[in-house]
Amino acid sequence: MTAPLEAPADAAPETVLAGVGAKAIEGRSLGQIAWMRLRRDKVAIAGGIFILFLILVAIVGPHLVQDPTVYNANLIDPTLSAPRGPFGGISLAHPFGVEPVTGRDVLSRVVNGAQVSLLIAFLATALAVIIGVFMGVVAGFFGGWADAVIARSMDVFLAFPLLLFAIALVGVIPSSAFGLSGNSLRIGLLIFVIGFFAWPYMGRIIRGQTLSLREREFVDAARSLGARGPYVLFRELLPNLWGPILVYTTLLIPTNILFEAALSYLGVGIIPPTPSWGGMLSDAVNSGFYAIDPMYMIIPGLAIFLTVLAFNLFGDGLRDALDPRSAR
Amino acid sequence: MGVTAFGAVAALALAACSSSTSTTSGGPTPATGFNAGITHVMNPSSQKGGTLNFASSSGIPDSTDPGNTYYAQMWNLSRLYAMPLMTYKSCPGKCGGQVVPMLATAPGVISDNGLTWTYHIQPNVHFEDGTLVTSSDVKYAVERTFDRGKFPLGPGYFPALLAPQKPAYPGPYKDRSKNLMGLKAVETPNPTTIVFHLAKPFADFNYVVAIPQTAPVPPNKDTGANYQLHPISTGPYMFQSYQINKQLTMVPNPHWNPATDPNAKQLPSKIVLTFNVNPNDVDNRLLAGDIQVDLPGTGVQAAARTKILTTPSLKAQSDNPVSGFSWFFGLNTRVPPLTNIHCRMAIEYAANKTNNQTAYGGPFAGGAIASTVAPPNVVGSVAASGKKFDLYEATTKPQGDLTKAKQQLQQCGQPNGFSTGITYRSDRPKEVSAAQAMQASLARVGIKLTLHGFPTATYTSNFAGVPKYVHSHDLGIIVYGWAPDWPDGYGEFYYIVHGAAISPVGNTNLEELNDPKVNSLLDKFATTTDAALRNSYTAQIDMQVMRDAAILPNVFAKALLYRSPKLTNVYVQSYYGMYNYAVLGLK
Repeated sequence: MTAPLEAPADAAPETVLAGVGAKAIEGRSLGQIAWMRLRRDKVAIAGGIFILFLILVAIVGPHLVQDPTVYNANLIDPTLSAPRGPFGGISLAHPFGVEPVTGRDVLSRVVNGAQVSLLIAFLATALAVIIGVFMGVVAGFFGGWADAVIARSMDVFLAFPLLLFAIALVGVIPSSAFGLSGNSLRIGLLIFVIGFFAWPYMGRIIRGQTLSLREREFVDAARSLGARGPYVLFRELLPNLWGPILVYTTLLIPTNILFEAALSYLGVGIIPPTPSWGGMLSDAVNSGFYAIDPMYMIIPGLAIFLTVLAFNLFGDGLRDALDPRSAR
Repeated sequence: MGVTAFGAVAALALAACSSSTSTTSGGPTPATGFNAGITHVMNPSSQKGGTLNFASSSGIPDSTDPGNTYYAQMWNLSRLYAMPLMTYKSCPGKCGGQVVPMLATAPGVISDNGLTWTYHIQPNVHFEDGTLVTSSDVKYAVERTFDRGKFPLGPGYFPALLAPQKPAYPGPYKDRSKNLMGLKAVETPNPTTIVFHLAKPFADFNYVVAIPQTAPVPPNKDTGANYQLHPISTGPYMFQSYQINKQLTMVPNPHWNPATDPNAKQLPSKIVLTFNVNPNDVDNRLLAGDIQVDLPGTGVQAAARTKILTTPSLKAQSDNPVSGFSWFFGLNTRVPPLTNIHCRMAIEYAANKTNNQTAYGGPFAGGAIASTVAPPNVVGSVAASGKKFDLYEATTKPQGDLTKAKQQLQQCGQPNGFSTGITYRSDRPKEVSAAQAMQASLARVGIKLTLHGFPTATYTSNFAGVPKYVHSHDLGIIVYGWAPDWPDGYGEFYYIVHGAAISPVGNTNLEELNDPKVNSLLDKFATTTDAALRNSYTAQIDMQVMRDAAILPNVFAKALLYRSPKLTNVYVQSYYGMYNYAVLGLK
């Protein structure tokens, strides 16, 4: 682009310094500015680091911890069915304690549960984002009857009693379908249900953004230069939509984590003994053991809480960084 | 009768020994402590007054209509407002399993080679409005049970056992005959006599008429499905107000005569039942004394259980009776490879019975590990006799015998194990735990279980009780529980092991066992009128089912009940496996 910036290899120190100085004066790209702002937001960075840690745990964690389905009957008081020792049987071998009744290691269940919960939340979010962005852009860009149809269908989806539908659907789907069976079928089903019904949130925002963008001068300029629909869509509009897409993706993930937890809590989530956070919460509450072994409920509850909090903080920080007008 | 006499003698003896013993208590010095309420009447008293409070963590499980209920808690409660022909004697210990006359004056008189049963009813029993109860009111109550559309929830014994007529009797609401008395199999020759004509001999018929379905219903007061809102009482209490699943208030029935109903008492001046209370709140209120009885009688929750078992003063105020339920795993004899008896035996040996027991709540809330099917409150059962019959080392090697399990797998031709499904009710945490415990313990010999949970409401109607579904989904192991409708071998076994009980929908013979030896013993049971001979078949049936390895027994269920110190005349009636609700009073 600009020749003075490229310092030759044999340049004298002065010229290199001059180059640096010149770069500092040179305008930064939007991405650089956003990254700078984000970096200054310590809370958002903490959230981001926690998310990275969580992803790492979900990927490698299950290989490092014990088998989450192994019973440790010797750690359970046979009379009360509760873990021996204080705080749900916390010990060196079981840093998060053990489950009542079964004596299964809670740490390994939380770590394995992270994998299931995050997998479902991420894929469901991806599905929702893909459908939402496509529908939103189409509705906003083309307008007219396409907009009317899509906007109305979004209203329908938003008004849908999703929880009841999910419960009914999981009840009627046979134990094997679409070439899948058992938990892989259940995970696929959850991804579909959560993702397919979450897209209107994304769709509405993208539609609004597209509507305002398509009237902007640079779009008119591209059009007057003879650019056609697809070019305008992909080269002019979409790059300007990345900000909101990124922000709302980050904010959709925690919603989906909570929704997966809610479904598991209602007994239509993952099939035992595979752990999931919502399932662990549900076990603690339904068996009544939370009252005598609070750690049984606190630990998966804390996992959900911290994860959702981290995604929300990071998402808020990202939004502030990308779109300072909306900040505070 | 023998028990009463013995009690009186003991009281005299005690009074003679100790001058300080109060003679007004009317019995021996009551025992105290843990489980005392199983064998003794605690706090005997005839003091009247007070409000007796029940609470339940759910709604009414089915109905307050005596003709439309199938729950032990409701059968127990219904004795406060309904008088069936027979009932279970109000007394603690084994005595509480005896069937005795209630509205009838004596047990049924058998004639016509066991096909006809005649009952005479007491001539001076009145409904709450003062009308005299006649035999046609009882007949009308029986007729109502034929309308399965209106009353689908109660047992269906009368339509199944009574002599059929053509066209089939449609129930009183479609009955076109005079005074709605169109059921021909039941005759009322005079106002105090009722005659039942059976399709074939059925020696246990006295137990059938002890179901609340024979409690008289006045035809002109019957409001069909709404009758549950105010059943016309013949017992010591009558409905004052009732909001379904919220609150039921009962007050003393002025037309009840204690002389006609020795198995019930009229002590509290009001009885209030509150529904849909949070389960832990029920326990807390019970321990605090705000309520006196937990209606379902299935025991306290985990939190209260810990509190009671670890606090000696609370433990002394609790009872841990056998509830009458047995929890078991049905091993389906039609699902390969469980068609081979050795594969079923491998499961019997490999299961970790201790973990299964823990899944159900351990020795107090779950129950004792069982090696046979019938629980100890069934007359003549192996468990009651104290005889040892433990084919698969359930009590001697409760962790499972893996060597023997592997030998059986060899004989079955599946040396490396096999795969099959296990079903359970996904909304029952104990069954979810039990299925997982089985999965973990059978994996030790290579038997891989896949878990299939279904909601309780449709478990037997759509899934585990539909053999076609079970076969097509390879569901070899079915988690189930059973409490007999009456405490003898026929009530216990017919529906869960007789070949004729296998049905395409709502099947309860989950093993689909059709063993001629078992079938013929049960058929003989149904026609043998000699009670001692009849009850001797119970153990034989049990042993044969175990030889067939069709059922893997888990526990004979127990419930940890808190005996509120405010209650008088409180004891566990063995038939219900909970406190007898018909005789309670307040201090």
